[in-house]
Amino acid sequence: MIRSVGQKSLPAIGFLTVARDADQGLLGGYLVLNSLGRPLEFHCTAPVRANRAQEILYGPTLDPYLCGERIGQTLLEKSKAAPRIVLTDCPPAMAARFVVDTPMALVLDPPAPTPETDDAGPHSALHAAGETAIGGVVRVASGSGGAPLHAFPLGSYRVAVLAECPEDEPYLVEQWAHFAGQIEMDEPFHRIREAIDEARASSH
Amino acid sequence: MPMCESQTSGKPPAAPRTSAEAPLRIVRADLSVPVACFATGWLTALRREARIDVAHIPLEPAPTRALSVQITQTPVSVRSYMFPELPANCPPAGPPRPVAAARVSDVTKSLPARTRFQPPRDIVKLQDRLYYLLQPPLESLVNSGQLTFPNQPFAYQYQGIAFLYPRYAAILADEMGLGKTMQAITAARLLLRSGEIRSVLLVCPKPLVTNWQREFAHWAPELPVSVIEGDQTRRRWQWQQDQVPVKIANYELLLRDADVLCGRQLQFDLVVLDEAQRIKNRSSTTSQVARSISRTRSWALTGTPIENSPEDLVAIFDFLLPGHLNSNMQARRIGRAARDYVLRRSKDAVLTDLPPKLYRDADLELTCEQEEAYRAAEEQGVVRLSRLGEALTIQHVFELVLRLKQICNFDPMTGSSSKLERLEADLEEVAASGKKAIVFSQWVQTIEIMSQRLARFGPLEYHGKIPSRRRDQTIAQFRTNPNHHVLLMSYGAGSVGLNLQFCNYVFLFDRWWNPAVEDQAINRAHRIGATGPVTVTRMLTRGTIEERIQQVLEEKRQLAAAVFSEAGGPDNLGLTQEQIFGLFNLPVPAPVKRVGTSPVGFERSSDTLAHVSRLEHGTGGL
Repeated sequence: MIRSVGQKSLPAIGFLTVARDADQGLLGGYLVLNSLGRPLEFHCTAPVRANRAQEILYGPTLDPYLCGERIGQTLLEKSKAAPRIVLTDCPPAMAARFVVDTPMALVLDPPAPTPETDDAGPHSALHAAGETAIGGVVRVASGSGGAPLHAFPLGSYRVAVLAECPEDEPYLVEQWAHFAGQIEMDEPFHRIREAIDEARASSH
Repeated sequence: MPMCESQTSGKPPAAPRTSAEAPLRIVRADLSVPVACFATGWLTALRREARIDVAHIPLEPAPTRALSVQITQTPVSVRSYMFPELPANCPPAGPPRPVAAARVSDVTKSLPARTRFQPPRDIVKLQDRLYYLLQPPLESLVNSGQLTFPNQPFAYQYQGIAFLYPRYAAILADEMGLGKTMQAITAARLLLRSGEIRSVLLVCPKPLVTNWQREFAHWAPELPVSVIEGDQTRRRWQWQQDQVPVKIANYELLLRDADVLCGRQLQFDLVVLDEAQRIKNRSSTTSQVARSISRTRSWALTGTPIENSPEDLVAIFDFLLPGHLNSNMQARRIGRAARDYVLRRSKDAVLTDLPPKLYRDADLELTCEQEEAYRAAEEQGVVRLSRLGEALTIQHVFELVLRLKQICNFDPMTGSSSKLERLEADLEEVAASGKKAIVFSQWVQTIEIMSQRLARFGPLEYHGKIPSRRRDQTIAQFRTNPNHHVLLMSYGAGSVGLNLQFCNYVFLFDRWWNPAVEDQAINRAHRIGATGPVTVTRMLTRGTIEERIQQVLEEKRQLAAAVFSEAGGPDNLGLTQEQIFGLFNLPVPAPVKRVGTSPVGFERSSDTLAHVSRLEHGTGGL
């Protein structure tokens, strides 16, 4: 149905998220876009669920283990394109950075709210997760295993990289220039969630 | 120690006496007791070293049991989907232009944040569904400068584009004036730029070809467009050219070039039929040729998917998806089956800020001359029809209807007309206020008479007798010259595709056979860009055939609503042949009865009626 067309190598960027389903477990989705925001690849996982032993033994590091090392790493390694950077909106997925070479950043905040929505309060998922920030280092209280992150502005957003990978910040700033203006940083995550829902619906 | 002196040793002491006997005397007593020692053997035992015996009691430790818990790596299975890259020959339009950026900010205020492509139900392969689902929102394309518009589209237009883009079969059935043209052009433009399609054929009525050309230049200036025209050799050459992605042809040319189109040499990725009601008659050659064009995607644009009966929609679906609908289905079932393929929005629903459309029914009495002529014609006509007996056909009835309708416009002998008197009075007001009006009639003859009588208002004519090359000029003249206050149009030539939103008044001098065409006519003025309220004056003479036909029109409006409403409605609201004959209280002759009494019969009848009208009076052919 979809015709293959001539290839042109535009810079690619990856978007990784993990959806949590109360019945099924964790569902990972990874979308690779070119610099025009067009989809190149989409990878999604079957539901991943920790067993009881893992829940006990991994304790607070369970989420980073599942979202980052298992789901994140597996998805990123499936990609045939070579994204310059990978963005995620899922704090525990940042743990993938420990096991992959591609620089990663966590998208913290959407653009500044418009005056009409200014009273809506913080928009970041991290606020809900209990983010604390001291001197630019963000520590996420829950769900990330407490991996320290370093936050900084990128375009009209605020993002964070692993504090252990400070070299990611200048690289991200440099690479984002290829995508700024073409891609809204938080928008592709909506596409991934819809695609995950579609894939789940088709498997039933 | 003092003791009582009583006895010597060896004897037990006597009991002390009481004071009455003698006082006690203490004497010394020997209390020594002989003690002898003898060996018991115990002492030795005490002196002997303690003997310690050590007994070994085996204290074996309880076995330590270790339980190993396997922390297996959680298996992660992945499904992967790859999509084609954007073609190299369609680079982005560049950074957002300042103007576009300003408009984008407006978009974010007035539009839903993101208009996403939703795959239709008939796309079942997950890979294909995800392809559409994962495309960026339209607003993002605008925001990034990849997609630019000369005018800011409305939110519902974004939704229309998102509806068309992923569909291989679709009807965009928006009410007239909502911008179907722009939506179709933009959706085709996106498909061409994404490389999903490479060739588009747009078919429209002949008078609208230049309009489409203009609209393509406006909304998609980067797309080369070729209009199929000229002699046969030239056209044949044009058909074969594949460098130009968009070809525009008119319906009449489809017939003439059927041999080229029906062959397998030509293949289009997308065929768009504008005013698709033109193929509602499935047995017509136009419909057959349209259906035979080799193509991948089929879109139909029409403001009136149902003009007379649900059969009209079935015919359009024969072009889109042969067999998906059939004539035996009831209206409600047709509605359900068509739902995923049809997008229809009304102005009331989406353009809340469009100026109002005010209807004014001018119910007029015939003048004395008209009354006399009308009654005579009716009586003679009915008598003549009655005498025909078994030879009576529906054409005979039509002829009488036409005759009577014409008298309702003008008395044939004197030219007296209550409608024209009223129109003149109204146009005085229109001209005095510097406004412009459109007057619609079914007949060219009527238009020509009106043109003479309304000379002081600078009337211009637009109908089938006006050559195509002069029509655009006529519209331009009417638009720009303040001395032309009225445009006299035939329904056939002027009811579709024209943008006359600078007019504030519409007069329906006589009524067309179906309400959809009337709506289209009215919407030439009442559409996007309308500068103020549009007043529609519907002229009707009391106690005449016009009044009876009016009832039929109202019923037809209800029919269209029945198919497109969730609640459904009566399945049979068309007029049967019995009802047509009943206009004159005539019984249906037996041969006609055998033909059938379904509403479809009425559809054929009304088509024939219009056809007869055009033949006899030279109206409005396109």
